[in-house]
Amino acid sequence: MFKKVLIANRGEIALRILRACRALGVESVVAYSEADRGSLPVGLADEAICIGPADAQRSYLSAPAVISAALVTGCDAIHPGYGFLSEDEGFAEVVAAHGLTFIGPPANVLERFASKAGTRQLLGAHGLPTIPGSEGMLRDDQHALAEAERIGYPVLVKPSAGGGGKGMRMVRTARELESVLKVCRSEAKAAFGDDSLYLEKWLDENRHVEVQVAVDRYGHGIHLGERDCSVQRRHQKILEESPTPALSPAARTELAEKAVRAVVAAGYENVGTLEFLVDAHGDFYFIEINCRIQVEHPVTEAVTRLDLVAMQMRIAAGEPLGITQADVDFDGHAIEFRINAEDAANDFRPGAGTVERYLAPGGPGVRMDSHLFTGYDVPPYYDSLLGKLIVWGPDRATAIARGRVALEELVIEGITTNVDIHQALLASETFLEGRMTTNLLDRVGSAAFLAAAARV
Amino acid sequence: MSGMSSRDARLERDPAERAADHAAIDRLTDELLPALIAKLGATGLGELEVREGAWRVRLRRPGGSATRERRASDRAADRTSDRGHASSSRPAHAPSHATVRSDSRSVATSPAVGIFQPRKDLTAGARVRAGDPLGAVDMLGVAQEVVAPMDGVVGTSLVEGGEAVEYGQDLITIEFGVPTSTNGTGPA
Repeated sequence: MFKKVLIANRGEIALRILRACRALGVESVVAYSEADRGSLPVGLADEAICIGPADAQRSYLSAPAVISAALVTGCDAIHPGYGFLSEDEGFAEVVAAHGLTFIGPPANVLERFASKAGTRQLLGAHGLPTIPGSEGMLRDDQHALAEAERIGYPVLVKPSAGGGGKGMRMVRTARELESVLKVCRSEAKAAFGDDSLYLEKWLDENRHVEVQVAVDRYGHGIHLGERDCSVQRRHQKILEESPTPALSPAARTELAEKAVRAVVAAGYENVGTLEFLVDAHGDFYFIEINCRIQVEHPVTEAVTRLDLVAMQMRIAAGEPLGITQADVDFDGHAIEFRINAEDAANDFRPGAGTVERYLAPGGPGVRMDSHLFTGYDVPPYYDSLLGKLIVWGPDRATAIARGRVALEELVIEGITTNVDIHQALLASETFLEGRMTTNLLDRVGSAAFLAAAARV
Repeated sequence: MSGMSSRDARLERDPAERAADHAAIDRLTDELLPALIAKLGATGLGELEVREGAWRVRLRRPGGSATRERRASDRAADRTSDRGHASSSRPAHAPSHATVRSDSRSVATSPAVGIFQPRKDLTAGARVRAGDPLGAVDMLGVAQEVVAPMDGVVGTSLVEGGEAVEYGQDLITIEFGVPTSTNGTGPA
């Protein structure tokens, strides 16, 4: 295991990694930007080092600053968290070149899975059904139109790099496609520095189900079940749960086993997530792999009682998994609510400001992963995630009931949050019956959804 | 590696990078400079620095007339102004990488996380002008210049050469002093 780990991230995930390091008896250093000087991870850290100004390009996204910070503080590994440099194979390579360990897949593995279209082909060849899509990247508008015609509308335009819904548009006609290509290219270019796009067949009533896997350096892989992330707003996840209400236990096992077999055969290493679309018939199609610890990993931790961050660190340190598939017990049902600083009633406008009062909920099966505290100034420079509320129960109904109580208990004053959208979800018949699809919120609009729930 | 300066690295760039640099320089001169000159005039500051990608522009008022300005000593507030441009909520009073502590003192701070090396010929009492190099912070083999935040006299070194420093760390104090003999400036 490592002696000392540089935590190159911020917010709740920096805190999560700090806790994992402590539980493993590993020293850690929190790397922070000037805007995060007063943040909780910095306050709780054994050691902290300022790596740059608020601008993430010069701090959390600056590979030289992060690596330099690790070297001068005597670290032997860097944990990138999620976002920022977490899936940057160039960064992973430079980290290794400086004699440090990147906590995640090694650079050559990241490179193999870097292109979404390439990964679809690779894992398709290893037995995963993939969604019909364009052959490689779109060369130009003509190529896009021809490919869309071949696949059949509606289609989803997607950027090869990145995630979070940027550069993504669903179109139903050739005319619509022509009109969005330019916007998608410029959005993708701005967000990821790469404007290559591809097309995917769009399934109207689809569910988003993802499989958590862990593979050690010795080719031993296990799956940790799946998460249903169908509750989204404009392709951004809001609520995740496990197990998925969309599939039978037998279908879930089949999906998870296929996923882990394919990634082991394709040479994946460390923890990762394979995302699938599940259609109305229960057929599933692989869409992409996330080579990092994910925001929603606590859902899996709640139903498996495993520490995924610790597991990620052990694998990166070259240790064998130490457990087999038979050792993984799935117990009960877990739901995660992403608490964001955004105003659901006003088109999810992001917010920043001072937290005037903060009180985390508690009780059996309740976990709050958050960097908030009373008096904390939420800086405007980064994403809007304030924390994650995770509830567990022996069954879905109990988890939902505990979720209602916990959301009611949670106090965040001074900043507008999306707590009301979660409360509306827990009052929605579609959600309660487990029938939600990825268009649940976008179909009627979030404001209309809130209003409808308020009338119930 | 540590001997390699950023200038050497620049010579080996490919044409695309060079083109991007030229575009950045054009933007700096056409769009930013007029605004900066106006800002420098309006604030009465001695110096103003802006970074754009790998490039930076520093404007210095001639004749060492750095205005002495009292600022809150709150570190976080001071340093947030180093974002390359002034934000509407927090005007960029202070020059980059400088924390003005009182009427008569200022501190040169670290532009990067890395290993600090003071300029070899730098001695306490030497007279410097705002923007003069005082040393460098080595970040993965690339030297990042530490500059004097205002005209004055080199005071105390707060960090030994060869020590690790973080971004924004106080390195060398500069005392505001009346020149005793010549009107010579520190070595350029």
